[in-house]
Amino acid sequence: MYAMRYFFALMVGALVLSTLLFAGYVHAQGEPMDEVHKKALKEGGTLNFYGTLAQINAAKVLPAFEKRFPGIKINHVDATSDKLVARAVTEARGGRTIGDVLQIPLENVVQAFEQGLLVEQTIPESKEYPEGMKGNYWVASDLQFFIVAWNTKLVKVEEEPKQFDDFADPRWKNRMIAEPRDLELLMALAKYKFKSDEKAIALLKKIAANNVEFHSGHSQLAELLVAGQAAVCITCYSHHYPGRIRRGAPVNYMLTEGIASINATAVFKNPPHPNTAMLFARWIASQEGQKAMAVGGRTPAHPKIEPVDKTRTEKIYPISAADIKEYPKYEKIWKEIFNLR
Amino acid sequence: MSTIALPRSVKNSVALLGDPALLIPLVGVGVLIYLAVLPLFMLLLGSFQMEVAPREFVATFKNYQNAYASQYTYSTFRNSVIFASGSAVLAFALGTALAWLVERTNTPLRLVFIPLAVVPLILPGVLESIAWIFLLSPKFGYINVALMSLFGLESPPFNIFSLPGMIWAHSVGQVPLAFLMMVAAFKSMDPSLEESAMMSGANTPQTLRRITLRLLMPTSASVLLILFVRTLESFETPALIGIPARIYVYTSEIYLAFNEYPPDYGRGAALAVGLLILSAAGVWLYTRSTREGKRFQTVTGKAFRPRQFDLGPWRWVGFGFLMVYFLVVVLLPFLVMLWASFLPFFATPNLDALQKLSFENYQYLFGFRPFWDAMKNSIILAFMSASAAMVLTSLIAWIVYKSRLPGSWMLDFLAFVPITVPGIVLGMALILLYVAFPIPIYGTIWVLLIAYVTRYIPYGMRTASGAILQIHSELEEAAAASGASWWETFKRVTLPLLRPGIVAGWIYIFIVSFREFSTSVLLATGESRVLSILLFTMFEQGQVTVVAAIGILMILTLLTIVAVFYKLSGRVGIQT
Repeated sequence: MYAMRYFFALMVGALVLSTLLFAGYVHAQGEPMDEVHKKALKEGGTLNFYGTLAQINAAKVLPAFEKRFPGIKINHVDATSDKLVARAVTEARGGRTIGDVLQIPLENVVQAFEQGLLVEQTIPESKEYPEGMKGNYWVASDLQFFIVAWNTKLVKVEEEPKQFDDFADPRWKNRMIAEPRDLELLMALAKYKFKSDEKAIALLKKIAANNVEFHSGHSQLAELLVAGQAAVCITCYSHHYPGRIRRGAPVNYMLTEGIASINATAVFKNPPHPNTAMLFARWIASQEGQKAMAVGGRTPAHPKIEPVDKTRTEKIYPISAADIKEYPKYEKIWKEIFNLR
Repeated sequence: MSTIALPRSVKNSVALLGDPALLIPLVGVGVLIYLAVLPLFMLLLGSFQMEVAPREFVATFKNYQNAYASQYTYSTFRNSVIFASGSAVLAFALGTALAWLVERTNTPLRLVFIPLAVVPLILPGVLESIAWIFLLSPKFGYINVALMSLFGLESPPFNIFSLPGMIWAHSVGQVPLAFLMMVAAFKSMDPSLEESAMMSGANTPQTLRRITLRLLMPTSASVLLILFVRTLESFETPALIGIPARIYVYTSEIYLAFNEYPPDYGRGAALAVGLLILSAAGVWLYTRSTREGKRFQTVTGKAFRPRQFDLGPWRWVGFGFLMVYFLVVVLLPFLVMLWASFLPFFATPNLDALQKLSFENYQYLFGFRPFWDAMKNSIILAFMSASAAMVLTSLIAWIVYKSRLPGSWMLDFLAFVPITVPGIVLGMALILLYVAFPIPIYGTIWVLLIAYVTRYIPYGMRTASGAILQIHSELEEAAAASGASWWETFKRVTLPLLRPGIVAGWIYIFIVSFREFSTSVLLATGESRVLSILLFTMFEQGQVTVVAAIGILMILTLLTIVAVFYKLSGRVGIQT
């Protein structure tokens, strides 16, 4: 009898424990996305997406989400990353949150977080990402590789660059363009390639002496390069070139070394459509969403999803979340070297 | 000026409030204060506030210090003044030369050029700047490439990314305005003064220099002033050419204060207040100078027709000038857009590029939802703002000019206020006002509608009041005598008579709303995005050939709608 009661108690205990464990497991897995979809539909069927995703990529990625989750329409507010953060700050200042999801370069996500605009949460899909590709309020959405690209009409085959160091040569004088905000180049050279600030600064000073022309926006840089505004772009994105080359544009790009920076997804604090925001954040981090990113022409951040085009470089200098904290220091040096505002 | 008979109750001040005759002006004043004054008040307030903690503000003068005592103050001021005065002088010179040639000389085919000279008005400023980037960019600009290969030059002769480049790109868009104003001046000039000079032995250049140009002095001064103010307020060229070239003017500084991280509203507002004062001073000087101009009045009751100068063989030089102007300034930007719209990526015209021409960009746009959303928004907004502004201003103009209600001068003044407010300043003021406004219209097309109506009230006022002043009061008095109420009179007599003026004003406001950029750039977001903003964002994203296709479709849409409305309004009319 006693043994019987003992046995029952044990059984009940095991049942309770397994139920708890299962609940914990389900919680960690999160609700199935289709359940979140149902809740999202009750929020009006709109997602306010603040993202730097260029229209050419967005036109493929966002409809994939809308197709997967019928009844939800994405309102894509697109601008450069600092404009998007500035807009969100302005709205918060007026006591309003309009954006649901923010998807911009990690350094700007950090800025938005520092302004108290983002919610701290871990989504189940982030488990599949290695450390450094996620934080407690963000998950990487895709990687961007800063590479060197050139116009094949203006750069002879024998002078094609092999590494960043080549541009110290005076033969590149007045032939280079770059983006004024790309201090990642300085940072990567200093922290990963040379492991010395002095060496990196010395190289960039030589490059600066060759008179680099600056233009805002990487897509515009790519277009300027195609049009022949300059022979070579020293801080361009690798994902901008395969498509253009397919369409017959006279450009090529260097894949020997490059700087990887993270674009990240985060959810706004008290967003107008919380479940819809969650649904999108989870989907874009999932393998399915990452495949859509690859098809849309980006380099997925998910370790198991390969990019469709050749966009990853052989040597990668990754800008980590920790590096971002040192931005102000390197930004100052970068601006001084190139005399930027 | 006589007035129409008002109901007896007007004299009875106690019963006034219930009377529409007084209620309407009161409502008018209320609406105008809400539209024109409230945003400016918010702006002024914002310029004296600093956020110390989230949503916690303190009063301060520091914003002004940040805005006007920084290391960039001088360069911004210098760039703004050079940009505005350079553009004003160039647009004035070109506009005056054109006006003189077509209006006062025997240049061949000159009459054909009158409509042609006005065509650029239809081209949105954003497109104008983009077209000139295509043409004059140092490395790939078609004109530079052509000149370099033609003359074997080592470096490009032109650089659009410079102050002279900005002046050129902006001023060619201003030429039609200068042209129209100067044509009016030349038309109304009494020829007897010139004839006297000729009789006294002066030749054509002497007469031109000593009589014609001097008579035109007051008009010229006011045209120059208005061109200066308009350039100072403009943002298209500073955004598309100035910012990439790192040449900042006031409007771009204001834009960047709002759009760079961390945004500095206080500094932006302080800069905006400065620009507002400058522009208000310009407008005040302009109205003063046009009033002064009456001392030089040259139109009298005497019937006359200005005489034509015989240019002799020089008339062919004049013809050459007109042709070059038309080909280079009017046709070329359009052609370069058209060409680029068929390319997969930007390329100079050659055999290689010729083989790549296709309808791919247009096909892409066909399935590109943001384009259709923006197109829909632009059409709806232009339609609504033109209609709302014309209804509002014809009522206001009627009250101001036809009734002698107390305080109607105030309506006139309030309706004039927005003309002094630069587009970007209005955009900023409206953000400050509506982002915290209880009614959630921020981020929707409604805030854009408010912005457009506010901006274009003065234009509507001008056409509506022009039309109203032409209607003699006896027509309305007759209606009143036959027992019609003031509303019936307004509806059945005044409004139909106003139709041509209202139609002209409507079409003008439709065009300017459809191409509006400098206010929308701060207010339009995702779903409220309009075409000019889509153009700007996609140009920033480097899809330049798609941008060209959007531009072409935008021009075609504008032309079609204006033509249809013009036809319809002629046939149907606004009758009851």
